[in-house]
Amino acid sequence: MSEAPGNSGDRTLRKRMRKNRIFAGGVIFFSLLTISPILLIVYKLVAKGYRQINFDFFTKNAPDTYEAMLAVGAGEIIPGGILNGIAGSLYMVFIASLIAIPVGLLIGIFLYDQQSKRYAGIVRDITDILQGVPSIVLGLIAYFWVVKNITNGFSALAGSTALAIMMMPLIIRSTEETLKMIPETIREAGFALGVPYHKIILRVLIPSGFSGLLTGILLAISRIIGETAPLMLTALGSMEVNFQIDKPTSAIPLLIWEFYNDPNMVDLIWSSSLLLMMMVLLLNLLSRQIISRRS
Amino acid sequence: MKAYTLILAIALFLVSCGNGGPDKKSGTKESAPVDLTAAGATFPLPFYNVAIKNYTEKSGQSISYGGVGSGGGIRSLKDRVVDFGGTDAFLNDEQKSEMPADIVHIPTCIGAVVIAYNLPGIDQLKLSNANLQEIFMGNITRWNDPQLVASNPGLTLPDMPLTVVHRSDGSGTTYIFSDFMSKISAAWESGVGRGKSLMWPVGIGAKGNPGVAGTIKATEGAVGYIGSEFAFAQKIPVAQVENSAGKYILPSLESISAAAKAEIPADTRANLTCSSDPEAYPISGFTWIILYKEQNYNKRTRAQAEETVKFLSWLIEKDAQALAQQVNYAPLPLKTVEQAKEILRSVVYDGQSLLN
Amino acid sequence: MIKSERVVKGILFLSSLLIILITAGMMLSLMNGSIPVFKEFGLRFIISSQWNPTEGREEYGAMAFIVGTLLTSLIAIVLCFPLAFSSSLFIGEYFQGTRIAKIMGTLVDMLAGIPSIVYGLWGFYVLRPLIVDLGLNGQGFGVFTAGVVLAIMIIPYATSISTEIIKMVPGELKEAAYSLGATRRDVILRVLIPNARSGIFTSFVLAFGRALGETMAVTMLIGNANIIPDSLFGPGNTMASVIANQFGEAEGLKLSALISIGLLLFVITGIINGIGKLIIKRFNS
Repeated sequence: MSEAPGNSGDRTLRKRMRKNRIFAGGVIFFSLLTISPILLIVYKLVAKGYRQINFDFFTKNAPDTYEAMLAVGAGEIIPGGILNGIAGSLYMVFIASLIAIPVGLLIGIFLYDQQSKRYAGIVRDITDILQGVPSIVLGLIAYFWVVKNITNGFSALAGSTALAIMMMPLIIRSTEETLKMIPETIREAGFALGVPYHKIILRVLIPSGFSGLLTGILLAISRIIGETAPLMLTALGSMEVNFQIDKPTSAIPLLIWEFYNDPNMVDLIWSSSLLLMMMVLLLNLLSRQIISRRS
Repeated sequence: MKAYTLILAIALFLVSCGNGGPDKKSGTKESAPVDLTAAGATFPLPFYNVAIKNYTEKSGQSISYGGVGSGGGIRSLKDRVVDFGGTDAFLNDEQKSEMPADIVHIPTCIGAVVIAYNLPGIDQLKLSNANLQEIFMGNITRWNDPQLVASNPGLTLPDMPLTVVHRSDGSGTTYIFSDFMSKISAAWESGVGRGKSLMWPVGIGAKGNPGVAGTIKATEGAVGYIGSEFAFAQKIPVAQVENSAGKYILPSLESISAAAKAEIPADTRANLTCSSDPEAYPISGFTWIILYKEQNYNKRTRAQAEETVKFLSWLIEKDAQALAQQVNYAPLPLKTVEQAKEILRSVVYDGQSLLN
Repeated sequence: MIKSERVVKGILFLSSLLIILITAGMMLSLMNGSIPVFKEFGLRFIISSQWNPTEGREEYGAMAFIVGTLLTSLIAIVLCFPLAFSSSLFIGEYFQGTRIAKIMGTLVDMLAGIPSIVYGLWGFYVLRPLIVDLGLNGQGFGVFTAGVVLAIMIIPYATSISTEIIKMVPGELKEAAYSLGATRRDVILRVLIPNARSGIFTSFVLAFGRALGETMAVTMLIGNANIIPDSLFGPGNTMASVIANQFGEAEGLKLSALISIGLLLFVITGIINGIGKLIIKRFNS
């Protein structure tokens, strides 16, 4: 960039460069501020939770309050683990994803396809409203629909239903917004070449927007993996590993809630939360791997 | 696309695998395990968990109990989606009539509500009935108030602001506490009343026992009420209160059990607050299991009903009650166990008693 | 070709019906449950801030919770905005593709994986004493405390999607601006944001929606006073929090009051989203 010293253009340029630097500085400052809570929280979780993480943690079911009381009294770590919670969480997240991902993608594509049509506008509005429903209300709904009418009892299906409804709006909207960012030209080119519509979606749009779509899905999974309130009314919890879809099952956040409310097992909340976070981290790293391998 | 089909296949496999387990509802074999589900009060949850784990080890029966709250327990039983429910407050006649069929109450253990406080260096705090009224209605705001000093000669109470902490969520603990307060204070009864959640004249609300206990621990000069098992397990300092014999008494497993030694009706629906027994802790209460008297409803099998009654009869007997004591719940006095057994005998399947 | 297009469009249309069915079903269930309380109190329920659950003198009103919900969410989004926006610029623009961006992105995403109860606990043990020390509130509970934790919780929602949107702004547009002598700041403010405006705004609307419905963390920090907060730092309560708190024990009229509050939350979310859309329409015109 040429700089002719001494003229007004130079002063404006310097002013703009300064504003540029300040802006960049602000961005970096706030970004660092953003990650400080994470570091603080992680530190707290690790500091309080690392003692409880051992092989048993992943392979044994939750202890009862008596065993915990004895251990705490003797200054030892609480025995047992959270296997029932891990299994239940994975199971319900899996089923919820099976329901929510295809439906969410389809609706997201629908909204993209029908951008400015009135009906699509209504669907979009409804999706956004659904997003704001508190998780406990969804739990209530799943209780009425599934627990009372379908499985006639607390069940993993009811829990998965509540979770799936929570996932959908996130997947739908991020799908739509991602697809919107793909330049029109790419889609038009597909049409121009005579590619059938479903192939355009599957072979052109989805691959182009893959990283955005995956982000939306992962965000949705991260969102539900730590949810407690809806599961209390639907999956209820269980002391054992349980893969039956029409029976109650445990989940890590449910266990955390139980530990929190139990005077002897409070120490277990930190290690369980740490695990939850690690699972989300793993999901993220996995997705980054997939994205980078594609590009 | 291929990946998705594979995932779908795995999913279907898992689901069918789950449902194709041993035929649980055959009801023909006595030894075929039956799954029991229950939901209800959170207050006895630690006790139930220990008891269930024990029972499962001995009998192979699997039972799930979820702490959704007494209201949730009653609702679940009403909707017939559980085998039995747990509740800290018994159903009055009106509520009983709203259930689709007749239900019975089985008391399982006794717990108490204790007055916890945070005053460094002060143990042995005594709070008279009048003190409690004034504190929880907001009229005493500092610890060195003359009314408190009068109850505690020999203690030097600090000049510190007093903060009341109560439950923000509806709970049986609040019910027992407010029932007690209504009995000892006419002002409380007309001003605030009794219930699982109240319109508190003063104080901060915290969620659950841990919320209240945590807030009290973190705030000097705080006072509030929590469940006894919680206070005992975490060794939180609690105040002595006056019982109906005028004696200052500390909550303990003995004094709590004593509350049930007085007369209680045959159906065990009684509030144990202000019990007439002179050794009783006045803020005590049963927690109950509720179930339908006629167990043949909604396609329930006889095996399901039998296992339900078998578990409940084990729960009120001495092995389970000893477990209760280990985790800081007060066991049922023998008289109550007998009454409970009598009620269990009245639970029938197609008119036939299930308890042998 | 035309046929395949029709089939696809048909499938897409059917799927859209699903979400309408679900939402309509939910509204029906909620409305059904709300009838008793509206029969008893009429529309007064919405504006009254009285909340007395004692048997025999029950009186319910939703206003205290409506105010609490809006206040906390507002505080959350205001605090969240500079943080989330800066983070998405950091990851998606300034350091895009570098290792630092990946680390940053991972750290931000981790925020989403922390269960709300952990946020509540962290807020209780760490943030609360801080608020007490700053002299803002005697016990550290309150609308502001809850708002701060909410802000942290919704950052990943706003950031993730915004970042992806920012990354997808076509390079040529930016290059063109640079070649005309624009500074980075100019490019961001004049090219990138206008181009990605709709997506970024949507991500914040999503984040706001998340804040409106958050339960566990708020309920541990807001002080649970069923009144209209008298100050920004005083205690209050939100709609989601009161439902979570009272639902386990509620029955009869109280249960109906809670379900009505759930319905109101639904409606309010709808209104907020409607306003958001009007704003986006302004952007795009």
